[in-house]
Amino acid sequence: MKSRDQEYKEIFIAEALEYYDALNRHISDLEKSPEDEQLLAEIFRLLHNLKANAKAIGYVSIADVSHKLETAFGLIRNKELNFSDEVVTVLFDGIDMLGEMITNIDSPKEVEPSPALLRNLDIIVNSISENTAELSKVQKYYTSKNLSLSDLIYIQIKKLDHLLNLVGELIIDRDRIVSISKELDNEDLKNVSAHLYRITDELQYSVMDARLVNVGSLFNKFPRIVRDIAVAEKKEINLEISGQDIQIDRNILQIITDSLLHLMRNAISHGIEKADMRKKLKKTPQGNVFLSAQNDRDTVILKLTDDGKGIDQQEVRKAIVQRGFLPAEAAEDLRESEVLSYLFEPGFSLAKEVTEVSGRGVGLDVVKNAIDSIGGRIRVDSKKGEGTTFTLFLPTSIAVKGALLCQVEENFYAIPLMHTDSVVALPSVELHEVGDLLVADINGETITIVYLKELFNSELHEYSGKKSKLEGDVQNIIIVTYNNRKLGLIVDKLLRQQDIVIKALSKPVNTIEIYAGVTLLGSGKVCLVLDVAAITRYFIARR
Amino acid sequence: MEITEKKRILIVDDSFYMRTMLKNMLLDAGYDVVGEAPDGKTALEMARDKVPDLVTLDVILPDNTGLDVLKGIKQDNPEIKVVIVSAVGQEVIMNEAAEYGALHYIIKPFSEDKVLEALTNAFKEE
Repeated sequence: MKSRDQEYKEIFIAEALEYYDALNRHISDLEKSPEDEQLLAEIFRLLHNLKANAKAIGYVSIADVSHKLETAFGLIRNKELNFSDEVVTVLFDGIDMLGEMITNIDSPKEVEPSPALLRNLDIIVNSISENTAELSKVQKYYTSKNLSLSDLIYIQIKKLDHLLNLVGELIIDRDRIVSISKELDNEDLKNVSAHLYRITDELQYSVMDARLVNVGSLFNKFPRIVRDIAVAEKKEINLEISGQDIQIDRNILQIITDSLLHLMRNAISHGIEKADMRKKLKKTPQGNVFLSAQNDRDTVILKLTDDGKGIDQQEVRKAIVQRGFLPAEAAEDLRESEVLSYLFEPGFSLAKEVTEVSGRGVGLDVVKNAIDSIGGRIRVDSKKGEGTTFTLFLPTSIAVKGALLCQVEENFYAIPLMHTDSVVALPSVELHEVGDLLVADINGETITIVYLKELFNSELHEYSGKKSKLEGDVQNIIIVTYNNRKLGLIVDKLLRQQDIVIKALSKPVNTIEIYAGVTLLGSGKVCLVLDVAAITRYFIARR
Repeated sequence: MEITEKKRILIVDDSFYMRTMLKNMLLDAGYDVVGEAPDGKTALEMARDKVPDLVTLDVILPDNTGLDVLKGIKQDNPEIKVVIVSAVGQEVIMNEAAEYGALHYIIKPFSEDKVLEALTNAFKEE
């Protein structure tokens, strides 16, 4: 545990370095426009704070130099001291000195301000500006001697993207080598490849780690955004945020930024009721919105909850029918979770009820697409009168995904774990034909079942869903979930769970919409990655 | 029972270091810190939104001067008590602050005792 003094010291140094950088910037600007009063006021404020903080923590020399500089800038501000070349030099020296003292607070050799500098400062502070002839040249031993650079560097995300791609390629080759070394059964080769395995593993995690940022870097923008939306909507909102320390890949956070903003707007504009309505409903006049992040193994879960009016299931069912998605009877048969999943359909909207602003529903398909694009998923839960929760399940990292490997005929396929729900073995007799689809009752739910072997061997529109095509008495079924909907996939064989690096498909294969990409297995075999989202969408539409 | 309720304090200071020190000090002493504002605009908004019992106010702020904030707070809600915490010890400013209704003027660097004593006194003067 850090002691409070240690914490104070760290805060002091971090803030002092920030002030120091700002001072350097401002004084350079001031040289160009010496009359700029705002700049002068800002410099004065920074020095003033630095002095007060240094005094409080007990760094006497820093307080002393800041005080002298503050006085000098005070005089310049009041036009009692000219911002002449000689004076500027002394001021620059003084600020350099401050920087030197701040960066060396933790170093064993304490940096004392140079006496010549202190004297120069005294001269410009105490005398009239003509007396600058007395100023002595300050030997700048410090700036030239040890120019210290920050321990932090900024790096373009593009460079990290490239690095991650290379790591991906490397892992594919590594898995190949590991596999070959087993085949050749050569001890030396086995040892080297085992070592290679560990090193690349560590390299992969280091690169992934370098790309992680705190969710807080996005979350912390929300208090201000929420305030602005609340003011515009004339609503009172209490926003609570938690889990800012949870880490996630920077690009993933970037991709979901607009989505989260969109969901937040929806929650406040359409979810939270006006204060007088809330009072009538015996709710707090302030609407409550909770934004949270948490980790669950390799997944980051973001939740946005409001305690507003919630989504009316009956209205959604009505809209499903009105907009021609389903006939009325089918809409009545939908499970609650299925009803809400229609909110994410392109063109679906409840806008009729809320014509004055954009209706809830507009744009939710865009949110969904963004989350699909990074292999995440979204889920909505809502209770009429009580509120709505959007849950975003996001991968921590882009490049490497956990996947379930399976086999259909001679070929290998991968299904991202993000979308797998469970695996069941079902006697063929429990599968039923409904129209041109197979269905089964699994744990009390009627689930559409897709026979992958037939799917892979026929054009999409030719897929028959006939039970007669099935082989064997027992079927291995992987249940996948997408957008609150479940789908069962019949495979020949379940293999294992494995981290895979997904590569985009090159043309012309990428026109096949049931594959999300391709990966190479250690054996050198090509393994296609199934696009669970596309397959589910296709079969739900078919139903 | 109002007596047992924690007094709600808003800290206004442009330095994170100062805010952290003050906050820890006040929390340890059993006050409720309802907000921290780094500039005048935020200070006025928070004073309006959170309606604290007392504001500790710095004089030199990036946007307004602290005295403008003091005036603004008192104009919005004269009930909110204000104690100035500043490194500026000029008599003119101290007098002006008193004129606008600041109850105490603590000069930085402050000792914990001074701050707590000033706050205790401010609440006694109810």
